[in-house]
Order: sequence, then structure tokens, then C-alpha cells
Amino acid sequence: MNIFSYLTDPANWQGPAGIWNLLLQHLAYTAASVAIAAAIAIPLGIFIGHTGRGSFLVIGVSNAARAVPTLGLLVLVVLLLGTGVGPIIGVLAVLALPPILTATATGIQGADHEAVHAARALGMSARQIVSKVEWPLALPLVISGLRSATLQVVATATVAAYSSGEGLGRLLITGNATRNYAEMFAGAFMVAALAIVLDILLGGLGWLASRHASPGRRRRRGRQASPRGETVSQPA
Amino acid sequence: MKIKKSLLGVGLGIAGLLLTACGGNSNPLGDASSPQPSQSGSATGAQGAPVVVGSADFTESKILAEIYSQALKAKGVESSTKLGIGSREIYTKALQDGSISAVPEYTGNLLLNFDANATATTAEEVEKSLPAVLPPGIKVLKASPAVDQDVYVVTKDFSAKSGITSLEDLKKIASTSTLGGPPELEKRAYGPPGLEKIYGAKFKSFVPYAKYPPKISDLDSNKIQVATFFTTDAVISEKGYVQLEDPQSMILPQNVIPLVRSDVADNANAVAALDAVQSALTTEDLVQLDKKVDSERQDPAQVAGEWLKGKGLA
Amino acid sequence: MNLDWAWIQRNLSMIGNLLVEHIILSVLPVLVALVISLPLGFLVFKTKRVANVILAFLGVIYSIPSLALFVMMPLILGTKILNPVNIVAALSIYSIALLVRSVVDGLRSVPASVKESASAVGYGWLRRLVRVELPLAMPVIYSGLRVVTVSNIALVSVAVLIGSGALGKLFDLGFGSFFYTPIIVGLVLMLALALAADALILLMQRGTLPWFRKRQTA
Repeated sequence: MNIFSYLTDPANWQGPAGIWNLLLQHLAYTAASVAIAAAIAIPLGIFIGHTGRGSFLVIGVSNAARAVPTLGLLVLVVLLLGTGVGPIIGVLAVLALPPILTATATGIQGADHEAVHAARALGMSARQIVSKVEWPLALPLVISGLRSATLQVVATATVAAYSSGEGLGRLLITGNATRNYAEMFAGAFMVAALAIVLDILLGGLGWLASRHASPGRRRRRGRQASPRGETVSQPA
Repeated sequence: MKIKKSLLGVGLGIAGLLLTACGGNSNPLGDASSPQPSQSGSATGAQGAPVVVGSADFTESKILAEIYSQALKAKGVESSTKLGIGSREIYTKALQDGSISAVPEYTGNLLLNFDANATATTAEEVEKSLPAVLPPGIKVLKASPAVDQDVYVVTKDFSAKSGITSLEDLKKIASTSTLGGPPELEKRAYGPPGLEKIYGAKFKSFVPYAKYPPKISDLDSNKIQVATFFTTDAVISEKGYVQLEDPQSMILPQNVIPLVRSDVADNANAVAALDAVQSALTTEDLVQLDKKVDSERQDPAQVAGEWLKGKGLA
Repeated sequence: MNLDWAWIQRNLSMIGNLLVEHIILSVLPVLVALVISLPLGFLVFKTKRVANVILAFLGVIYSIPSLALFVMMPLILGTKILNPVNIVAALSIYSIALLVRSVVDGLRSVPASVKESASAVGYGWLRRLVRVELPLAMPVIYSGLRVVTVSNIALVSVAVLIGSGALGKLFDLGFGSFFYTPIIVGLVLMLALALAADALILLMQRGTLPWFRKRQTA
């Protein structure tokens, strides 16, 4: 059987359950959840990174987050709170928080100490230090955190179709129920493609940010202390 | 070398431990609900050979499978179960490749599955038409008076407000409404295609629900307006859902019937055991059994055993 | 949300079987990945410039959601979709993607001065690798091992959507009947498993690398 048959049939792309619409739903869930998570995690991360308080929280949370089975959490929340868009975005946002928080806190805290000292010596206020020195230096790491978070959410949003029938996961579930491997493959392919595209886009953004952060310096290869290694947890 | 050696050692140790655990239980890697390739076709029903009874994902199917299996055992036929295999498409494959040798089915949908253009409408007609459409090597045994139909429902409030009480009424609201049902319903003859062809109702969209709770929740909150259930589901009476009438018999009579491989059909003991079950089973039994498992969280195997004892079949 | 202890008791053997299945499905990929990643990571490390390209490629693989990879495995392996080999293979690939990175980072973190000293004392490249570089790289590799193992334990449950998933089946069961008990049992067992695995690896690290006792890697 031609596994691409579902993808190549234009009829499957149209309509409320068409691939195109499911893709848009998936993107919408992802964007909303990451945005909400970032709105909470970035300020919190800046605070923790700049003041050094609560850093134990950051390490603990990021470790614990990796161990959470996303399907279990989703199912629990849906049973408790219903299948609305709210609960699902809530779960996704909660899962997106740890990578962003960890990355922001680590980035701010690890911002070049000489630069920070220099800023203090110049008499800059805390707010100026953060916005003019720490933030630009931390930005590459923050973006890598956003990148991890996005991948986590794209993956979990696939699973969310289990309870809501929305998003690309629907193709996987329906395909599985009707033994239509082409449909399952279509879902898997689209999700993988979406993840890869977003990963590359955000990766490029991060690269730009790191150029901006240290424009005058020679790019130090390999010293970008593998942000993915520390902050990343495999998206579900 | 010391570090590598100790790592290797620990690794092998863990692997060894796990492999022994493997041998202890019924192979944990052998997923109980996976149709395995034909080399496990020893699940045949020839004289004395064990009958593996499979089931679909829903409660009633699991209970029936347990009833069949335990009834067989009581009559001296070796048997085991493979519950929760999946939808009809999946367990039919399992039946054909031999990983299971029997499965509880429902006459009407079974007929439509193999002959989408079937014209039978009454229970007797449906049962009579079955043998002719089944693939080679697969047979049906006796049908039971017990029925469990697919049914379209709306909430009490929705029915009161919109006056919908029958599938005929659906065309009035379909274009602005959403239908919810199991994923496989979307393409079935008694699903959206049938609604459109027979009742002229084309829904705005269809939402697939793999499980009941989100479907129930969405129906109650009017995210979907119409949903499908089974007539024996406890939730219908619990929530007071209105079952929509089906004047044109789009949904065929669904009598419980065992679908088996030929070797099981040739096994006189097996047939006797299953026929006895079929005669004794009533629709009310199904309702009660479903309630015990769904609402009271009892174990399908246990309620099956109790039912059989109550009927003197085990 | 009351726990139905009676149900738990009735179903102990099923839960036990699922637990064992879960352990096997999560740990096997890690073992496979370890065996492959050590030599592979070393090779990648050696290529220096090309290394970053390879690591980027692995990063892309790592970004693919697990469910998608589970579904695409039958294509690559020719197996049936419900075959647990799909899950082990997919998780192995992820684990390799991450562990190779850990091995490379670990090897890169060995100070050049230490390597030079070893060579100066007369160590051949292999002896230096095994006796000096690898041990010094181990903390990073161990850290990767912990991440990978804990992630795998959570990821196995996702396979429930395609009919497998070990302990994940408890989520399926609970969700289908509005029954919290199996869900809680599943969550607790998985988290306990993750904690135990993490602690075990940490112990192994302490045992094999005593000189790093004070260094806490996140």
C-alpha cells in the first residue's frame, strides 16, 4: 500500500477535519501554550537568575518535569476539568514552563560576570543591568529554552487529540482505529515535519541572538555549553 | 578498564534480571492485545485445541468474551482470552490470521462490514444473510435474542428545545451541528455516510472520540449536539439522553453472535457451550453486566463467572 | 478522588505485568544506546568540524515527537505496528541522539593539558582514551544517561495511542471509564520508577567515579 496516499489526496487536506485545518489547530495550541508559559517563566526566570534566589527550585523542577508522563497528566486534567480548550492549553503550558524557566534562569545567572560587574560599576540600576546586559547575553539560552518548550508542546499536542479530537494527533488516532496506515503515517509525517521546521526556525533565531550577544568576539566553538543537553527533555 | 567493566557488568546484570522476569510471567513483551503474525496460528479450535476468544475495546465485548471463554472451559474446551484488541477492522484481521479464534459480534454491523449493500432489515433476515458474506474459514454460530444497538442520542434539553426525536428530524439541524462518535464511525455505513444517504442529514463536522468521558462531557456542554452510544450503555439512562428513532432501519438489528474460525465451528463441544450461552443471554442481562463493570468497577471476568453460575452454565 | 484500593488489589498481577513490561521497554533502549553511543560518540568527537554537523543532525532527530517516530518505525523496520520492537527501536534512536551528544561534550570537556600530560607519560591513544579521557568525560555521560532513562520511562506510556504503552494502558483504562484509580496508580508507579532509575544511576556514578562525589551535575 502506498503510505503517502493519504497525504497526496487533496480531499484529505480540505474541510474541518482536513490536514490543513488540523495543522492550524495544532499550531494554535502550540503558540498559545508556549506564549502563556513564556509569559510566566521568563519573568520568573529573570528574577531567579538575577537574584540567585530559588535556584534550587529551577533544578528540581527541570529534573522532575522530565519524568512526567504527559498522557497521564492530560487524561487526569481532562477528567477533572473537562475537554475545553482551556484545560488542554493549561496542561500544555505547564509542560512548557520548566524548559523556559530553567533556560532563562541559567542564562541570566550565567551572563558574563565581567560585563555585569562593569555595569554595576557604572552605576546602572538593577533594571538596567537586566535589560541592557544580562538579558541580551541570556537571550540565546532563553531561545533554546523556548525551542525545547515548543517541541515538548508540539509533541504533547499530538497526544491531546486523544481527548479532544483536535490537532494532527487525530489522524493518528483515527488511522489506528480504522487500520488505515496511510492516515497514521500522514499524521506522523506532518507532526515530525512541523517539529523539525519549528526546531530549525528557532535554532536559527538562537544563532542570530548569540551573534547579537557577542558581536565583537570570535565565535567560540563548542563553548556554547550545550544548552540542549541541559535544558532539554525529550518532548513526549 | 575498571570503569568500563563495572558499567558493562551492571548493564548485563540488569539485562539478565529482566530476562528472567520475562520468563516468569506470560511474556510481558507479548502485548496481549496485539494481533501477532500467523505463526501463532496454534490458536485454532480443532478438537481439544485451545480457543482464544478476543474482544473489542468496549466493556460489553470484554464481558461477552469472558463469558464465552469460561463457558468453553466449563464444557472441557481449553480457552483463553485476548481482551481489548481494538475496533472491528483490527480484530477481524486477528481472527483471520489466527491469533484469535473467536470473538463476540453483533449481527447487523457484522453483515454491513462484509456487505455494505445488504438489504436485510429484520433480525432473522440479517442472521440468514451472514454465512454467505463471510470470508472463507470464518463462520457464525447461533444468534442470541440479546441485542445491543448503536444508537444516536441527544440530550433531554436539546430534544425539548429543537424537537428532535428521530433520525428523520436530523436534517433540520445537521448542517449547523456536530456529530460525535468513535473514530471508526466516520466511514461506516450507519455513520455519517448513512445519515446523509438515507436521512438526508449532512453534519457540519464529525468529532472522533476514542473514549466515552470526553464525548459525554462535550455532549452535555453542547460542544457536540448528537452522539452515538450503545443501547445497553448505563450512561443513557443515567443522563436521560433521548434515543433517536430509526424509522428507516439504517441501523440494523444487532443480536449478539459468536464469530469463529471454522475449526471452532467444527468442534461440537465448543458449539454446544456457546449455543447454550447464546440462548440464555438476554438484553437485560447485557444492561446489568455492563453496569456492574462500568459503574461499579467490577472485573469483567468475575461478573462473567457469576452470570454463568447463575444460569447453570458453569 | 478516592482511590479504589479493592480494584488495585484485584488487579495486582496485571499491574505487575505492566510494570515489568514498562521497565523492559524503557531500559532496553538505554542499554542499546549506551553500547552504540560510546564508540559512535568517540568517532564523532574525533571528526572535530564535521562533528557539529552530525550533532545538528542528531538534534533534528531528537526533535521529532516520539509518537510520530513510533508510527514511522514499521516503515523502516518492516514490523507490524503493534510490535514492541518499534518502541524499543524508536527510543533507542532518541537515546543515541542524546547520548552521542553527551559523549562528545564529555570528551570535549577534558582539558588539553591533562591529555598532553598523559601522552607525555607515554600513554598510547587508546590507553589514554580509556584510562584518562573517558573517565573524565563520565560525569557528563552519566548526566546524559539519567536524562535519557527518565525520559524513556515517561515516553513509553505515549505508545498507548497505538495500542501498546505498558503502564500507559492504565491511563487508557482510567480515562475510558472515568475511573481515577488506574490513572493515579500509573502516574505514581512511573514517577517512582523514574526516581528509582535516577537514583540508581547516580549511585553507579558515585560508585565508579568517587573523585567526583562533590560535583553535582543537574
